[in-house]
Amino acid sequence: MKLTLRSKTLRYRLRVATALSMFLLILGGIFGPPVLAEQPLPQVQLNADSLGPRKIEDLTEKSISRDYALAWQNLSQAVEQNRADLLDAYFTGLAKDDFTQLIGDQKNSGAHIRYLDHGHKLEALFYSPAGDAIQLQDQAQLEIQYLDGDKVIQSEQVTYHYIVLMTPGADRWMVRDLENAPQSKP
Amino acid sequence: MRQLLTGFMCLLTAAASASAAELRPPAQVTAGTAFSIPAGGSGKATFYLYGPAQVSKRELDLGSEIQVQAEEVERAGLYTAILCGSSGPCSSANFYVRPGEPDRLTLLVHPSRVPVSAANAISAVAVVFDALHNMVLTPVPVKFNVSPKEGASISQTRNSSNGIAWIRMTSAPKGGPAKLEAVIGKTSEVRVVQQVASDACNLNIRGGWVARRFTVETAPVRDCTGNFVPDGTVVSFTKIDDSGKTTVDVPIKRGIAKVEMPVSGSARITAASGVASGNELSVGGAR
Repeated sequence: MKLTLRSKTLRYRLRVATALSMFLLILGGIFGPPVLAEQPLPQVQLNADSLGPRKIEDLTEKSISRDYALAWQNLSQAVEQNRADLLDAYFTGLAKDDFTQLIGDQKNSGAHIRYLDHGHKLEALFYSPAGDAIQLQDQAQLEIQYLDGDKVIQSEQVTYHYIVLMTPGADRWMVRDLENAPQSKP
Repeated sequence: MRQLLTGFMCLLTAAASASAAELRPPAQVTAGTAFSIPAGGSGKATFYLYGPAQVSKRELDLGSEIQVQAEEVERAGLYTAILCGSSGPCSSANFYVRPGEPDRLTLLVHPSRVPVSAANAISAVAVVFDALHNMVLTPVPVKFNVSPKEGASISQTRNSSNGIAWIRMTSAPKGGPAKLEAVIGKTSEVRVVQQVASDACNLNIRGGWVARRFTVETAPVRDCTGNFVPDGTVVSFTKIDDSGKTTVDVPIKRGIAKVEMPVSGSARITAASGVASGNELSVGGAR
């Protein structure tokens, strides 16, 4: 008798919990942030023909291209959705600080940037003798939309030149610095 | 009719003045420096400034200069200024914020411990930044100083390329700490590289009976330039006797490696560490 009563109470609690969860899910769907489609992985071509002083291994070259593409995919999503946590995976140091600040400003001002990424041509400039840092020059084809809330106030197709510093993490290469080079031509 | 036309013209003028404010920012600005952007027209407008690490937005009255604060342009790179009047399209302009004067260094030195007399074994990479952590991409002379514990300092200057200057060095023949310093202007960064003895050069062993046990030990183990080989380096002792061959690995402790070896009958004992080997001991029967 005691057991039956306990199981009935448990069943009741389970139903209440399920109903509450469903309610919260629906509420989240209505009032929560819009879930945006994942940005496609941008194309990245890496040319390491004139790299020095250390030669780059094939596997490292592939890892850098892959991780740089993933970094840009994450960056596009992070600035679009105002989610600084998305930077953790592929950004560190100054680059992470910068984009975290950018996202903080976006939240405060209501204005934000949207990157539509049309690909990157990377040229490897410097690979440290110890293999603990690589510097790249990126010629990025981007469409940048400047928004206030959901309204696009300006949009431009640009070719930006970036100087990139990447360092190895536990299982991937991380972007440590990403700086517009002066020869950038809007 | 004339009044109607005049009114219409006035409206057009007002709309035009509120929308056609052209932005003329300076072509180049130094990071962390306040400046102003002339903006013509009249009426209310919204000003946006999008940069590599910041976004700002504010309402303003047209007709006066737009003040951009130093904090809004701390990061080097391309900025986009957009001005939207109360009606009509927005106007925009891009400008480049360049890094300030070289002021900071990041110095990567590898490895932290290196064997003596190892050719090109030490590398130092210096990254040049301004006071606001922008990488300075124009060439900057970076001076590298190496000061061993004993002996004269050595200096070399390298120009940075895209913010990076680097150097490769051979370690000194004597062990001990070496101070490696990178200098730009009044700023410097220092790292210390511990230069340790290289592999053992040759081994000298001796043995003796102590309380019916045969003990073998090396003389203090040194590399070929006379530095003590670090503790923990393994010395392998090998005994060959009637029962066959026995090898014991012993780490160096306080400069020497020492082991007790059971000996019955005659035996030959040798020692080796890395590629170095030593003298051979011939031992008689047990005592």
